[in-house]
Amino acid sequence: MSWLGRLNRGETQIDFLKWWRRSLILSAALVVISVLSLFVRGLDLGIDFEGGVSYEVAAPGVSTEEARTALETVGEGSAKIQIVGTDTLRVQGPESTPEQTIEVRRTLAQLADTDPSNVSVSSVGASWGGDITRSAIRALVFFFIAILIYLTIRLELRMAIAAIVAVVHDVLISVGVYSVFQFEVTPATVIAFLTILGYSIYDTIVVDDKIKENQGLVGLSGQMTYAQMTSLSMNQVLLRSINTTVTSMIPVISLLVVGAEIMGAVTLEEFAVALTVGLGVGAYSSIFVAAPVLVFLKERQPKFRAIRERLQSQGVSIDRAAVPATTSGESAPVDGTTASAPRTATGVIPPRPRKKTRRR
Amino acid sequence: MRRFRGFGSLITLVVVAAVALAYTLTAGNKPLLGLDLQGGVSVVLKPKQEVDNSTIDQAISIIRQRIDAIGVAEPEITRQGNNILIQIPGVKDKDRALDLVGQTAEMQFRPVLANIPVDPTATTTTTSSPPSTEGDPTASTTTTVASTTTTAALVGGLPAGVCQTGLDAAQINKEGTATLPQCKAGNLVASYSVGPTALTGSALDTARANLGDRGWVVAPVFKGGNEGIGAFNAIAAQCFAKSPTCPTGQLAIVLDGRVLSAPVIQQASFEADRIEISGDFAERDAKDLATALKYGALPVEFEQQQAQIVSATLGRDALHAGLVAGLVGLIAVTIYMVAFYRVLGMLAILKLGIEGALLWALISWLGTNNGLALTLAGITGIIVSIGVSLDSNVVYYEHLKEDILKGRSIRSATDHSFVSAFSTIVKADVASLIGAALLWWLTVGPVRGFAFYLALSTALDLLTSWAYMRPVVRLATRSRLVHSSALLGLPPEKVAEVRARRSREVEEVSG
Repeated sequence: MSWLGRLNRGETQIDFLKWWRRSLILSAALVVISVLSLFVRGLDLGIDFEGGVSYEVAAPGVSTEEARTALETVGEGSAKIQIVGTDTLRVQGPESTPEQTIEVRRTLAQLADTDPSNVSVSSVGASWGGDITRSAIRALVFFFIAILIYLTIRLELRMAIAAIVAVVHDVLISVGVYSVFQFEVTPATVIAFLTILGYSIYDTIVVDDKIKENQGLVGLSGQMTYAQMTSLSMNQVLLRSINTTVTSMIPVISLLVVGAEIMGAVTLEEFAVALTVGLGVGAYSSIFVAAPVLVFLKERQPKFRAIRERLQSQGVSIDRAAVPATTSGESAPVDGTTASAPRTATGVIPPRPRKKTRRR
Repeated sequence: MRRFRGFGSLITLVVVAAVALAYTLTAGNKPLLGLDLQGGVSVVLKPKQEVDNSTIDQAISIIRQRIDAIGVAEPEITRQGNNILIQIPGVKDKDRALDLVGQTAEMQFRPVLANIPVDPTATTTTTSSPPSTEGDPTASTTTTVASTTTTAALVGGLPAGVCQTGLDAAQINKEGTATLPQCKAGNLVASYSVGPTALTGSALDTARANLGDRGWVVAPVFKGGNEGIGAFNAIAAQCFAKSPTCPTGQLAIVLDGRVLSAPVIQQASFEADRIEISGDFAERDAKDLATALKYGALPVEFEQQQAQIVSATLGRDALHAGLVAGLVGLIAVTIYMVAFYRVLGMLAILKLGIEGALLWALISWLGTNNGLALTLAGITGIIVSIGVSLDSNVVYYEHLKEDILKGRSIRSATDHSFVSAFSTIVKADVASLIGAALLWWLTVGPVRGFAFYLALSTALDLLTSWAYMRPVVRLATRSRLVHSSALLGLPPEKVAEVRARRSREVEEVSG
């Protein structure tokens, strides 16, 4: 059966131990690049954060040059002029008087051959963006604290810490993408980032729940280190993670492709870009950041260190994913396609005994 | 009847969803579209100075009066801290609306030239003698004219609806004579012909409402010096003498072009903090007047923090694009789920249908009754929640497959895996709810709308996972619908093979 079939049955044997080393290096590099870019290039903050006036009007066939020529007559020649979506003309200038605003609207309406009431205007005082940013950061801090407490109660402290590390990683890299590519940051972007927090946590919880379920195996059999058990758990929930990510991504990508690119809704684009970036990073971090961080934390616990040391003294390989005792020595193919699949890592788990007391 | 366990909740849910949808359609409830979807004006005003609660409330009621004057259907004025968020959807003259709400209201003291009866037969003027306040025998007093009136069609040149429409700056005519209305609960109760403004609210220091011997009185306190009590005494002397500039002896207190009160001046001269306005005040009226005077002393000047004029065309386009994108996403996700999980995938899409019906009913109800608008951010939140809902199904179905491969029968796996899967779903959904709740409390503007809809749909997911997904999957696996694991995307021979291999391994390990 194909690789897909084994994925379908949770029987893949991806050696996550190997991948984690690479992914952690990759993540560290991406975080460093993001932070550096934030300091060097900064963010392209929209007028909502810096103050100013933004005009939008559907103006098919009007070029930015034409717009600039027209705007020079009303003293807005230095404004930032873009075509966004498919045919929406966007003009952004510094703060101005109401009279000037009306002037500009009239000019743009003339240019687009429409009524001034069809020109959208958004004017923002400089302190407004500061208020938004402050409230968002405050919400973020409280979110971290609340989630840390909640996950500590429902799962355990170390998983909570690992989850938070992964989320911080997501936020840094998402913001980094915006900084590196100089995408404009708008309130919609901030909303999208905040959503991603919830998402990233969702994926991580699904993974952590499985690890917790398998946790008993480590102490029980003493055949695996915590790291190997986690890698095994990852293989078991891989399809789950992939499918939850895919089902979440499809509507968001539709928003980006259909809503923003084809139909040219500008605001949708702002949401969708940030959501797509964040969802991708979030799905990656649940498997490649949260899990190795958890392993790192857990392997320092005396109980799991003891298992690791014992296995080491017995000469059992602990540097790659667990392989059953019967096949130790031969390396398990990671992506073999043989029909008679070798005994898999999942095989060593005896079927769970049925619970005596049935739960409703 | 184990097969039908949980069946009650399923029927209840389906019936509730159907009834809710039917009610919404028959009652004609529709989601209230936010400003960004139907066009309109939105302003955030921030006071330039430190202000207390009652002053902000006074400012809000003045702004509300002005917006009502434009005749807009459903303006929404909310306080966010000390900021005032004003949303006027669908307004035609957007520039005028923006201009109106930002203006600072002024308090004027103007001599009354003539009382114009609203309804000649109904107007009575009662003048009570100055009460002497106990323990404060030197207290000077003025007395109000309390009028009991009914509305009339057109009085003294004022149109009947003047209390709704208000007057513009030219009609208020600060430096000349004007005819101004006195309103109560939106009805015209009196109108006055008044002279030029003698002094403005800036002469006031503060004001209080006190309970005296003869009921509630209002005590304004003027500032010292010529600009304050000096200016007040100058006009008070004229009114007391009933000179031609103030023939009625009354001094009208005017805020934003409306007469609040027109007390008769009882002495020629007052001390700055020994003034009382008395009359037939109810506690509420006295306090309102005191608040208005305080506001007049320090009218709130606003700074436009953010103003948005959304054209109706762009709003409609965004709505249209959002709906189409949502639909395309839904179709794509349906194909994916059905390809992967066959019958169970179909059931997951039906779950979306139930959630959709409930969400539509809720949003429509909230929009109609609570004025909660559906914004673009909200629509995005809902589209995102499609993913949240399907995630719960994926978690359950994958658990189910795992249990089957471990050797359980489909039926026993259905019940067994729901317990663990639901525990995961609850953990994940509660984490989302915590996030949404924090966003709601701690942020402003569009973020709140988004958080609200995300929380709403997450809560719905919890409900449907329990009341719909569990019984319906149980029914499916116990009926002929899903009689073979092939219908879950697992070929039976594969399942047998995996089971056989695993049991062999278990023997080897234990043996």
